[in-house]
Amino acid sequence: MNKQRLSRLVVHAALVLYTCLAVGPILLILMNSFKSRKAIFGSPLSPPSESTFTLVGYDSVLAKADFGLYFVNSLTVTIVSLALVLLTGAMCAWALTEYRFRFNAVIGLYMAIGIMVPIRLGSVSILKMMVGLKLVNTLTALILVYTAMGLPLAIFILAEFIQQVPRDLRDAARCDGVSEYRIFYAVILPLIRPALATVAVFTMVPIWNDLWFPLILAPGRGTQTVTLGVQQFIGQYVTDWNAVLAALSLAIAPILLLYVLFSRSLVRGLTAGAVK
Amino acid sequence: MSDTVEEAALPRVDTREATPWTTYIVAFLAPAAIVYTVFSIYPLIDTIRLSFYAIDSAGESHFAGFGNFITLLTDPHWAGPFWNAFRNNIVFFIVHMVVQNSIGLALAVLLSLPALTGRNVYRTLIFLPTMLSVVIIGFIWQLILSPLWGVAKGFLNAFYLGGLFAPWLGLDGTALVTISLISVWQFVGIPMMLIYAALLNIPEDLVDAATVDGANQWHVFLSIKLPLILPTLGVVAILTFVGNFNAFDLIYTVKGALAGPNFATDILGTFFYRSFFGYQLQPGSPTMGATVATMMLIIILVGVLAYLFGVQRRLRHHLA
Amino acid sequence: MAEVSLKGVSKSFGTVEVLKDINLDVEDGAFVVFVGPSGCGKSTLLRLIAGLEKTTTGDIFIGGRRVNDVPPAERKIAMVFQSYALYPHMSVYKNMAFGLKYAKAGREEIDQRVRQAAETLQLTPYLRRYPRDLSGGQRQRVAIGRAIVREPAVFLFDEPLSNLDAALRINTRIEIAKLHRALGATTIYVTHDQVEAMTLASKIVVINKGQIEQIGTPLDLYHRPAKLFVAGFIGSPQMNFVKAKIVGADGGLTAKLDVGGEVRLPPAPAKAGDVVTLGVRPENLSDQPGGDFRVAGAVDAVEHLGESSLVHMHLDDGTVVVVRTPGDSAVVPGSRLTASAPLSAVHAFAQSGAAFISGGVASTNTSDPA
Repeated sequence: MNKQRLSRLVVHAALVLYTCLAVGPILLILMNSFKSRKAIFGSPLSPPSESTFTLVGYDSVLAKADFGLYFVNSLTVTIVSLALVLLTGAMCAWALTEYRFRFNAVIGLYMAIGIMVPIRLGSVSILKMMVGLKLVNTLTALILVYTAMGLPLAIFILAEFIQQVPRDLRDAARCDGVSEYRIFYAVILPLIRPALATVAVFTMVPIWNDLWFPLILAPGRGTQTVTLGVQQFIGQYVTDWNAVLAALSLAIAPILLLYVLFSRSLVRGLTAGAVK
Repeated sequence: MSDTVEEAALPRVDTREATPWTTYIVAFLAPAAIVYTVFSIYPLIDTIRLSFYAIDSAGESHFAGFGNFITLLTDPHWAGPFWNAFRNNIVFFIVHMVVQNSIGLALAVLLSLPALTGRNVYRTLIFLPTMLSVVIIGFIWQLILSPLWGVAKGFLNAFYLGGLFAPWLGLDGTALVTISLISVWQFVGIPMMLIYAALLNIPEDLVDAATVDGANQWHVFLSIKLPLILPTLGVVAILTFVGNFNAFDLIYTVKGALAGPNFATDILGTFFYRSFFGYQLQPGSPTMGATVATMMLIIILVGVLAYLFGVQRRLRHHLA
Repeated sequence: MAEVSLKGVSKSFGTVEVLKDINLDVEDGAFVVFVGPSGCGKSTLLRLIAGLEKTTTGDIFIGGRRVNDVPPAERKIAMVFQSYALYPHMSVYKNMAFGLKYAKAGREEIDQRVRQAAETLQLTPYLRRYPRDLSGGQRQRVAIGRAIVREPAVFLFDEPLSNLDAALRINTRIEIAKLHRALGATTIYVTHDQVEAMTLASKIVVINKGQIEQIGTPLDLYHRPAKLFVAGFIGSPQMNFVKAKIVGADGGLTAKLDVGGEVRLPPAPAKAGDVVTLGVRPENLSDQPGGDFRVAGAVDAVEHLGESSLVHMHLDDGTVVVVRTPGDSAVVPGSRLTASAPLSAVHAFAQSGAAFISGGVASTNTSDPA
């Protein structure tokens, strides 16, 4: 009995230790972003107190960088890409699983290539294409690229879920004379909602956090995303510790909020994605 | 089962007016296929094509066969940095495989212990860094490890290890490993979650049977759990591989495109970026950039194929 | 070989009490079956005996030794799981040898024991195969083989037949019975199927909602169920229950059925005004007139099974009654039928569920749990 309790204690100790290691640095930044410069350097590990609390960093950031714009850009790109991935991905997954036709497997395999091969490697050509299409420094370019990036895995996962929808439902609808489009829209989509939520999660996070494509395709002032904006801002104001910490905290906040609200499905989504 | 019997008995009869199935197929497939092909596959193929061309000083491009590749691999101007980046990438990968995946495994095992209070809380918190952007993570650690701020040094001092402190990120010898560890710190959540899910998949019954048979916790892990999660460990390995050889964001954030000090943190991703966009003295070259990208593609493909045929084949999926 | 004894055992998971005050003894070499509906706690009880769970209160003795704190591997038990729990990544041979590795048996001894068990279960040709290549019945035998090889003092079976199809179930049931006769080991077997219980057990323990309802031999439970629950659980089709009230208690008891009619019962501990339930098994009811117990109703359906017929009828107050008659029945659905039975087939249960008349005789309730 005692040995078991001891080993349990050790387990918890290890987990607590690692959790502190995982969360500590983030808390440190958040905490210090609210402190005066003297306090940041003088007592970095203590939380902001009455005397050391300050918002000077935030003022600085919001004055020098248009965080609101970055945020709107990130949101736009992420949401539109997500919507496109979910809709076209579900349609494609539906076509692949429902209709038996000769090239079914081949097309399936073709779409799946993108899962393993990183799209970034084609950036040289992508940039050339965007220049040709006059889409450089537009959010549209990002949206198109992210949609292409998110489709393979989304299709793979959605196809698995769609296969689980009982055949009878679709056959019954067909017998009723319902058009294929309506079947997809009114029968299938609602039934795979959990899958759509899962796919949404693991599609969304990499898009929001991506640095590469905003850097290469849309680095202009008006189209910077939060990730790129933070990177540029900090690079520029690296000695203004208050501003730097504030900028980081502002970047952390939306994801942290999202995470706290939806942690369960977020984690489930990301696991599901990678397992497949 | 009954499904197939019915299908065999009743041919697919379209009883409505003649919209052939093909219209539907195309209608549903087209949007995704088009976007994917145009922005994902075509660029890759075009990049490969581009790597066979060279642009001369007049700005004219001409077919160069394998010339670019030979330059990349042998010309001291290119080969040096390339092999350096490649070597660094391997170190980067090894650190991840060894540190990230063993810690991930250990955490997954701990989290999957029966009746663990607070399991979800631990899991949620430990996974937090993975959710954040690499940029954020990079800067956070840059600050923490900065000798100016002194947080890291102060922390070590508390354990009387202050003497060990050095500006690791700034030193040739330690920068690469330090950045690798930062990346490990961020992404431990992924192998942790994958292996955790795999461990949960193992039926309780098997553990019970092994317990009755006389195995203790440790034996159960080695003889029962580990063999059954090998496929997942394989997936983790290949994901790590592809992810590492594609990495860029962290190094760019912490060290910039030059991946200093002295290219000590240069990996294929940053090398690719520079060859394409150019830096300081050397203008970017789309064809050389394409060549580097093609090399990276080849390396990744070799790894993936090796995994698919070497490892995956061998690993039998024992659980349904 | 060893006896198993439980004294005052109870088990709670958090605030949910799953087993309450269990007391029972299993003799050395007996084949005891724990039977009861799903969720009654029988599997939990088995796991307590195995050591996979710890008791909340009470003591467990195996072979005279108190094993509460002894881990499963040292209790000299072997368990056959409902899902067989075969290690999918090991061959049949390795599956059976696994436990012996930890018992520190030598290579040759392991080999000999495994081959012997394989012989007994006709598994020798499959030793090199993997569980996924075996049929359900074969996997079942490997699971049993794994248990035999350990040469335990007590065999524990947790619903081993529920995953098999009907025909295989009957065959394997017989195999298990033969095995028990051959090995003579103490066996505790859990099932929800009362047919398995009736055919395999030397003693049955009926469990309901975490408590022991009755312990007895199969025929004991059939002829003299001590509780309403046991009466309704054992026997298929289920015993018919008709509500009644005791109206007279002079000499013998007179019970007036709610649907009408009276039955004269022998003297027993019950008084006028008591609300009781009378029970008669379908096979004891006849469609011929003349009997101490009579009920009349409308026939809903007649099922012809060939060797017997089941007449389903409902009495005027809606109570469903099933009559089993030998051979083909001439009864027609829609007609009215009077079913009757002799006094020797009548059971009477008090409102508490306890039987006070069993088979027409005042019950002495000796089969109550200790």
